[in-house]
Amino acid sequence: MIMKLNENFTLKNVAGSWVVLPVNQATLDFNGMLALNESGVLLWRALEQGADKEELVNVLTREYSISEEIARTDINEFLNKLASAGCIKEPSL
Amino acid sequence: MVLIVRCKIADLITDIPDKGGLSARCREYSWDGNETADIVIDERYYRPDKYAPNFTEADVAYMESSRQFYIRLLHFDGFYLHSSAIEIDGKAYLFSGKSGVGKSTHTRLYKQIFGDRAQIFNDDKPALRCVDGRWYAYGTPWCGKDGINQNKKVPIAGICFLKQADCNRIRRLSNIEAVQRIVAQTIYRFEKTERLELMLGHLDSLIRKVPVYELENKPEADAARLSYETMLCGAEEI
Repeated sequence: MIMKLNENFTLKNVAGSWVVLPVNQATLDFNGMLALNESGVLLWRALEQGADKEELVNVLTREYSISEEIARTDINEFLNKLASAGCIKEPSL
Repeated sequence: MVLIVRCKIADLITDIPDKGGLSARCREYSWDGNETADIVIDERYYRPDKYAPNFTEADVAYMESSRQFYIRLLHFDGFYLHSSAIEIDGKAYLFSGKSGVGKSTHTRLYKQIFGDRAQIFNDDKPALRCVDGRWYAYGTPWCGKDGINQNKKVPIAGICFLKQADCNRIRRLSNIEAVQRIVAQTIYRFEKTERLELMLGHLDSLIRKVPVYELENKPEADAARLSYETMLCGAEEI
């Protein structure tokens, strides 16, 4: 499955916190902004490079000593979070 | 032919078209130097089509001049914070939050307590600017319906987000909470990534230097005393 980040979102470190914010959105409320932890930033950067899900699993298991199973669960959760914030484009068929 | 009014707003030489009653709003800011303007508000870029039909020419001139100033302000280490700004003893206290949360009510309580020692210098969109490493709040002509507005530059003691509650309680916000709240109250959508990035860069600097709080409060004098005492203490750490 190809996952493409919506280029209308930008990742930035502000005063020590990583945040993802949308460009050109009428109102920015608390839900309009995502806060990412260290592993979230790692995954975001991988997605920027065009990583697919298997590559994300590799990135996470390589960086942290976790099982593939746990990595998969974390990644699904992360991708759901991005999808519900509109950060991932629907894969084109 | 529209006349241009020359102003100095937030220490920036700004040329504004005299349209929709803007010159009356800008009287406090009028400037007669002949330097090159830092900011030129251009009515050719006003977008009346972006507003509901019941908006008057004056409303559009107000909103659009404000928008253009804000975009340029980003290039001078500044942005607006939707807030009511009050000065006491040479320090600025900014109260922010969504419309109707009680910003103006809170600064009016300060007036009741402190009398003339406290001056509300903008009740809607003060400009925040970093000058020589220090953050200041400035009065602007974009000051909301009631026109409360003084041309001032005041170092910021603290920023406080208001929340209606049935008790009075204040806490310092974490950096990430401060980012979330300030971004939600900086008024303009960012149509270009470059502008959002500029804003976030300024926010990074601001949050590292200025304490940000949340005050749960009832609309009563005790709440104002609590916010004042807490923010004054916090400012001494700056």
